[in-house]
Amino acid sequence: MSHAPAKPAVHMGLPLPNSKLGMWLFLGTEIMFFTAFIGTYIVLYFGSPGWPTGYNETHINVLAGGVNTFVLLASSYFVVVAHEAMVNKNFKRAWNFLAATLVLAVLFLGIKAVEYKGKFDHRILPGQIPETELDAVRLLGKDVQWIVDSQLNRLVPGAEPLHVKATKVTETMSTADESTKQQLQAWEGLNGAFNQLRSDISANRLTLDDAHHRLEEMQADPKFGPLVSHVQIAHVLPYGNLFASTYFLMTGFHAIHVVVGMILFIAVLKEGPKLDERSTDWVENSGLYWHFVDLVWIFLFPMIYIIPGNI
Amino acid sequence: MADDHAQSHPHVNYFGVFLALCVCTALSVIFDVVHVTPSLLVFLVLAVACAKAMFVMTYFMHLKFEGNWKFVILFPTAVLSVGLMVALAPDMAMHYYTNEAPQLRYEAEKAAESHGDHGDSHEAADSHGGGHDAHGH
Repeated sequence: MSHAPAKPAVHMGLPLPNSKLGMWLFLGTEIMFFTAFIGTYIVLYFGSPGWPTGYNETHINVLAGGVNTFVLLASSYFVVVAHEAMVNKNFKRAWNFLAATLVLAVLFLGIKAVEYKGKFDHRILPGQIPETELDAVRLLGKDVQWIVDSQLNRLVPGAEPLHVKATKVTETMSTADESTKQQLQAWEGLNGAFNQLRSDISANRLTLDDAHHRLEEMQADPKFGPLVSHVQIAHVLPYGNLFASTYFLMTGFHAIHVVVGMILFIAVLKEGPKLDERSTDWVENSGLYWHFVDLVWIFLFPMIYIIPGNI
Repeated sequence: MADDHAQSHPHVNYFGVFLALCVCTALSVIFDVVHVTPSLLVFLVLAVACAKAMFVMTYFMHLKFEGNWKFVILFPTAVLSVGLMVALAPDMAMHYYTNEAPQLRYEAEKAAESHGDHGDSHEAADSHGGGHDAHGH
C-alpha cells in the first residue's frame, strides 16, 4: 500500500486531451501554411497590373465554387452531428453521418476535377501560357516541334536520337508499304515547314498575325495539314502563369487536405458496426481538421471566385 | 472520456448554424450577381466570409465552450499570418518604382494601339478579355 503512487494535488497541463491539443497546435501551423499561399496570391495580384480576371481568360466558374462551398458546409454539419452522436453513444447514427461526409468530400473533389479539366483543356497551366505576342509565336513553334518529333518516333521506331532517325527517313521509305510511305512523305513536308517556321521565329521575323497565317497555310496543306489541324495559337494572357501557379497552389493544397480528411474518415468508417466510444476522440479531432478545411475554402471562395476584377 | 465529452459540449442547434452558413453563401453569390460598387462588393463578401468563419469556429469547432488556451494557440498564429502579408505588401504592391516586365510593355503597346484605332478595336478587346478593363489596380 505504501508503494501506491500519491495522486497529484494539482492537475498539470491543459484541461483537454493530448490528441486534441496536438490537433489544435497542428491547425495553428496550418493557418500559417495557407496564409502564406493566400498572402502571396494577394500581393502578386496587386503587384501585377492586368492580372487575368475575366471568365474567358481564367475559366473560373462562380457557380461551381458556390456549389462546392455548400457541399463543404454540409459536410462540416454532418461531421459535427456525427461527433454529437458519438458523444451520445449513438454509433450507428455517427457512422451514417461520417459516411455522408465522405460522400460529400468525393463530390467536392469531383466538382473540383471538372473545374481543373476546364483549365487543362484551355491550357491554363503554369508555364504554358504566353504572356506576350512573342511568347505565343514561340509556343506555336514548340507545339509544332512536338508533333514533328512524336510523328518521327512513331514512324521510325528505335532508341536512336531524333536527328539520327531523321537521316533514316529516306531509307525507311524505300522498304515501307504504301501507307507508311505516304505518312513519311507527310512528315518530310511537315518537317520542312517546321524548319522554316523555326528559323523565322529565331530571327524574330514572325508577328502574331504572321504566325496565324503560317499556321493556316500549314493546316491547308493536303499532305501534312491533318497532322497540325488541332494546333491553335494560344491567347496572350499577361500574368497568366502567375495566376495559374497561385490558383493551382491554393486549390491543389486544399484538395490534398480534403483527401487527407477522407483518409481520416475512412479509418473510422472501416470499423463498421464495431464503432464504439474508443473512436470518439478520433472523430472529434478529425472533425476539427475537417472544419479547418472548410474554413480555408470559406476564404478561398471569395478571394478566387468573386473578388478578382472588382478591386 | 465519453462522459467528459457529454459534459463539456452543451447542446447546440447545429442545423440552425448550418442554415445560417448556407444563407451567408447565398448572400456572397447574390452580391456577385447584383450590381454593387466593386469596393462595396469586396467589403461585403469578405464580411460574409468572416461571419461564416466565426460561425464554424464558434459552434462547429466548439471554441465557444473551450478554455482560454484557445487564445494562446490561435493569437500568435493570427499575428504571424497577418504579419506575413503586411511584410510582403510594400515591395509587391505599394512600391514607388515602376516594374520593368515584358507583360507591362505588351499591355502598354496594346493600350496605345487601341487608343490609336479609337472605337472599333477597343470594343473588340473588351469583348475578348472582359476582365482586363474591368479592374484598374
